[in-house]
Amino acid sequence: MKKILISAFALALFGSTISCDTEFETDINDVAVTSGEADFSRYVSLGNSLTSGYRDNALYSDGQNESYPSMIAAQMQLAGGGAFTQPMMPNNVGGFVGLPGFPGKLTLQVVNGSLTPVASDPAAALDNISSGGPYQNLGVPGAKSFHLLAPGYGNAANLSAGTANPYFVRFASSPDTSVIADAMAQNPTFFSLWIGNNDVLGYATSGGDGSNPITDETLFAQAYNGLVATLTSNGAKGVVANLPNVTSIPFFTTVPYNPVPLDDASVTALNQQVFGPINQILTAYGQGDRLQLLGTSNNPLLLKDETLADMSAQITNALAAAGVPAQQAGLMGAVFGQARHATSEDLIPLTTRADIGAAPTSPYAVAPFNKYGVTFPLEDKHVLTVTEKNEVLAATVKFNSIIKAAADSKGLAFVDANAKMTELFSSSGIQWDGVKYTATFVTGGAFSLDGVHLTGRGYAIVANEFIKAINKTYKSTLPLVNPNQYSGVMFP
Amino acid sequence: MNMKKIIVTAAVLSGALLYAGGFRVSLQGVKQLAMAHTSAHAEDASVAFFNPAGISFIPSKLSVAAGGFGINSEVTYQNLATRETSSTDNPLGTPIYAAIAYKVTDNFSVGFSFATPFGSTVKWSENWGGSEIVQDIELKAFFFQPMVSVKLAPWVSLGGSFIYATGAVDWNRSVTQLGGNLNLKDDEASGKGFGFGFYFRPNEKLDVSVAYRSPVDMKAENGTATFDVSDAVFSSLGLDANGQDGFKATLPLSDEYTLGATYKVTPKWQVSADFNYHGWSAYYKLKLDFDHAVVGNQADDPTVSVVPKNFKNTRTFRVGTQYMFTDSFAGRLGYYYDESPYEEGDFSPETPSLDANVITAGIGYKWKGLGIDLSGAYNFQKSRTFDNKFYNFNGQVKAKAYYFGLGLSYNAF
Repeated sequence: MKKILISAFALALFGSTISCDTEFETDINDVAVTSGEADFSRYVSLGNSLTSGYRDNALYSDGQNESYPSMIAAQMQLAGGGAFTQPMMPNNVGGFVGLPGFPGKLTLQVVNGSLTPVASDPAAALDNISSGGPYQNLGVPGAKSFHLLAPGYGNAANLSAGTANPYFVRFASSPDTSVIADAMAQNPTFFSLWIGNNDVLGYATSGGDGSNPITDETLFAQAYNGLVATLTSNGAKGVVANLPNVTSIPFFTTVPYNPVPLDDASVTALNQQVFGPINQILTAYGQGDRLQLLGTSNNPLLLKDETLADMSAQITNALAAAGVPAQQAGLMGAVFGQARHATSEDLIPLTTRADIGAAPTSPYAVAPFNKYGVTFPLEDKHVLTVTEKNEVLAATVKFNSIIKAAADSKGLAFVDANAKMTELFSSSGIQWDGVKYTATFVTGGAFSLDGVHLTGRGYAIVANEFIKAINKTYKSTLPLVNPNQYSGVMFP
Repeated sequence: MNMKKIIVTAAVLSGALLYAGGFRVSLQGVKQLAMAHTSAHAEDASVAFFNPAGISFIPSKLSVAAGGFGINSEVTYQNLATRETSSTDNPLGTPIYAAIAYKVTDNFSVGFSFATPFGSTVKWSENWGGSEIVQDIELKAFFFQPMVSVKLAPWVSLGGSFIYATGAVDWNRSVTQLGGNLNLKDDEASGKGFGFGFYFRPNEKLDVSVAYRSPVDMKAENGTATFDVSDAVFSSLGLDANGQDGFKATLPLSDEYTLGATYKVTPKWQVSADFNYHGWSAYYKLKLDFDHAVVGNQADDPTVSVVPKNFKNTRTFRVGTQYMFTDSFAGRLGYYYDESPYEEGDFSPETPSLDANVITAGIGYKWKGLGIDLSGAYNFQKSRTFDNKFYNFNGQVKAKAYYFGLGLSYNAF
């Protein structure tokens, strides 16, 4: 007994001395950040609003300070990266006084008891900071692929013609330069390129009304391959990202297709006098699936679908034959000729919300046909119909294959931004250290108040994808950033 | 002194911190700690917490014992992917205990034990990586145990105790998405349990202690959740005008089986060994049931938050020894190994727990019936890598802790 106990005790003490792995196997203080096969000394970033740090429907200084290229550059500076200067806006509100279409940022405010994004007035007139250059962040809000190659895109004289962009006018090194020329003038050793989003997004956010068409595939390929060829021409390494599916962003998923409530009296009246008769007429012509009878809640939006056959004459004639006065019959035919109710396949842009139920300016918009989306069809610009949505999706697929091929041919690091955003769009979202990010408007935390652009946290999630791709391709060890440490949606 | 005062006093004096084995704080006897916190020591009333049956073998008719500890600890986190690092700034933990035992007859003893066997005080920095889970937390439990013990034969006793436990929780964490913080607080949690054991002394050289202490479910029925966020979101979250809501939660304190023995190798030299088995698997989830606040994660009830904990039962192995240099002066040494109750996928930063090797030592001095004991211990905790899937929270932690204690005992007559 005695011997056993002594032996056990001695063994235990011995065991304790050899199994005390109290320290970290690898302490971060002993690990250097390395650039691997890349040279981060002169990094330039090219792209559009996403690259500039645009959020809340404006470019403003707090947002710029949390742009994904600035996050990447800060990590590169741990491994030989040089200075990274951004063309800072002169204020924290954004917008340009005197230029229509450039309001200040959206802020969340309590309006009639509910939280609502509210636009602010632009804070200053268009400034010019080209003397403070060169700038390493060359992200220009609104730029499409081919714009980065366009000389004069930063020429103030071209603003009225619509061939220049005030965001590039601000910092272009000369009136006739291009974004790519300003990038190459810095002889970059490393570049990031995330372009092409606006080549499809502009069409989508304008409801596919034709004012902002999808870029022709050949033109996109030419522009994209041209950009990559130029950027790599001096031996620079780089990273490119593909295009997320823009139809899943909160801008298109927040307003439901069927948000319309009605009181009992309206339901009865509209069904008896409008939707019942017209539905009967359309059914007779084999078009009975266009409209449905109304209820008191969750009525789908009424919209005009230009892909439908125009049934104006048939409706007018049938109504007139049934004894409806000619003027009334003519008006109903004109209003409902290409009308249909929305389905879950149609996408309603966030900007349409304000127009639902509002009075149209059309001469046909007389009572009761004076409520957009309810008794008067929403216009083309108000809705991304299923047909238009599929055009956007098809273009995205084509453009992404062009981007991937370009990345592969030059051996560039490649970010599958589409896959990462798909993760964000899922109900489980993306979780980081206990914080869950989703694509839900306002509360999801990743998208800013415009429903298109990201918050600082969303941009940090993107920055990490760039960093991972860079590290993987060039064997560097840039650390990731912690998205939770950046700003999200600000509550009042 | 009424019960409430005792609790309040204890709350002020006490504060426990956890190093290993969930949030069990094995510091209930200064003399025992010096010998690896082994249990088969019936020299004074401090045996009461370890085994109610032990009070039958205390050599005097009336015995009292009390003591306190200081705990200094630090946990360090690092994330190799982001190069973030952060260390806790824990306040000094001060668990205490007191016990009294009285032999009503030769074969019938009564006793009372007060102790702070569970707790966790961890203070991370406000913006550290895991702040969404915990910024700082103070968990406390106070055990009040009246007990009786009967000698079934001169060499064996049977004892039992009733446990009344009271506790408090004060937990702060970030609510990153709303740009604020959440405090969860309840000072009036309580629970009940029991303990029983056998104590054997088959001969003058050997003591054997076999004890069981039941689980205690600490029920927080009147918790207050205070959200420090924009008041514009109060109503949509279901909070009142102060940003508050009530919550209910139950925190299980594990049961514990103890098998211990002390053998007198010579009249001056004794060795002890213990085995503990802790039923931590009872803590498989933490459920917070809010009254109105829709801040939970359950599809069928958004006011309920469930976080998987998946604790597993753990073991502790202890060996210790005492040598009497003179009739009144003792030197003590010990070693124990304590397991962490969770795998790397369930790492909980509010109760950071690592496998630990602990070296203990102490001295004791006896003068007539009075005993004074000093002890100290150093906790060598194994650094670990974790990857909590529920939170997608990963990194590495290491920790160090040392304890020191001062105990007094008095065997009156």
